[in-house]
Amino acid sequence: MKSDIEQTLKESIARQKMLSLEEIRLDATLEELGITSLDAISLVFDIEDKYGVEVPNEALKQLRTVGDIVEGVERLLAEKAT
Amino acid sequence: MKPIAITGMGCISPLGAGVAATWSAMAEGRSAIAPLSGFEETDLKPMPAAQVADFDPAAHFEPARLGLLDRHSQFALVAAREAAADAGLEPEQIEAMAAVVGSGCGGKETDELTYQRLYQDGKSRVHPFTIPRGMPSAASSQVSMALGIRGPSFTVASACASAHHAIAQAALMVRSGLVERALAGGTDAPFTYGLLKSWEALRVVAPDTCRPFCADRKGMVLGEGAGMVVLESVESAQARGARIHALLLGVGMSADAAHITDPDSKGATRAMRAALEDADRPPEAVGYINAHGTGTRLNDPSETRAIREVFGAHAEHLKISSTKSMHGHALGAAGAIELVATVKALKTGILPPTAHFTTADPECDLDYIPNRPVRVEVECALSNAFAFGGLNAVLLLARAP
Repeated sequence: MKSDIEQTLKESIARQKMLSLEEIRLDATLEELGITSLDAISLVFDIEDKYGVEVPNEALKQLRTVGDIVEGVERLLAEKAT
Repeated sequence: MKPIAITGMGCISPLGAGVAATWSAMAEGRSAIAPLSGFEETDLKPMPAAQVADFDPAAHFEPARLGLLDRHSQFALVAAREAAADAGLEPEQIEAMAAVVGSGCGGKETDELTYQRLYQDGKSRVHPFTIPRGMPSAASSQVSMALGIRGPSFTVASACASAHHAIAQAALMVRSGLVERALAGGTDAPFTYGLLKSWEALRVVAPDTCRPFCADRKGMVLGEGAGMVVLESVESAQARGARIHALLLGVGMSADAAHITDPDSKGATRAMRAALEDADRPPEAVGYINAHGTGTRLNDPSETRAIREVFGAHAEHLKISSTKSMHGHALGAAGAIELVATVKALKTGILPPTAHFTTADPECDLDYIPNRPVRVEVECALSNAFAFGGLNAVLLLARAP
């Protein structure tokens, strides 16, 4: 599931920021990729919509890197499964 | 610019119907923010809101007219009638006026009820008034018809700066001599299910309340209502012996040309400077700023930076407040309700506070008049409006002579 979320997110970022998939590393910060707060809520919305989870506003503010988003969504899915 | 006289004011806000009710709440630091009501049957998350409560449209409008009035037009009419009556104008003076109404949302209530019928209820026909009731310019048309205004009349839309852009446009028409008088302001009624969902998706609405400039602020709180003013040349006002509430000295407008939601303090800086330059006044003339102050993470530090940039060392002497902490963010009406606050502050020497204030954000390091009003006689005041999409409009007011 993790690689699936990672792939979805990277594809969304690549499409939105017109980058190649290889340029988007997990440890890249959103700032480095030129992802504004509006971009971030739209990226998270794509994932929320696809996986049926909801990232709370407080959690969204803590997200710094691409990996943070992947891990955050993975955690939400795990919580949902239990 | 030649000063323009403000000779009439009208307002309906979550703080009360009428200028007097709205101002007495503001002057005491009373907030109208409460849990959102009317959407209990929906899946909307609980959120705070500043709603116009106890508003019975039937008490204000005849049934035949009411069918054509979206909620935002109703608010516009209530405020416009009060402003025109307050100015004490004769019918022929009203007839020659301009009417410029700002609205960020237009007739959303009408649109959403129509879509609900079609998409949800499976009906195949919609109400024949859907277009005239919901069109973005409906409020301007209704105001012109109800009051008998036959001069230039139209709607201005620039999201949260709509009212200020409308008032600026009206002021420019008066200044140029195109009209002798104008009615101008803003109106919005954004409490509809689809619009609330859309604001929720933007993640800028606070879950608790509106705390502009505070370290623990969590966002904006939506409001609704309308505000209107009557503008006229000082000569016209004096010639008819009108009472002048305050003078509009200058207007400043700019665009960030940066981002569709994130503010750029350089745009706000340019708008405030433009208002001062338009009035040929130095920054030191200003004593009070009614801030845009939404309570969002991005606006408040950006606005503070812009104020510091424009006012330099004088920023330390400024009194600043965001009355949105009491009446919420009424979007296209916000600037007009805040202009009423600014004019009353100049008139009374009571500066309204920023309510719900806790601890200032370190990046917001000016005097925001926390929680309690202060008594300071101020000569000039600014009213700021910085909209989504970087559209800025600032009005510079002065005490009446």
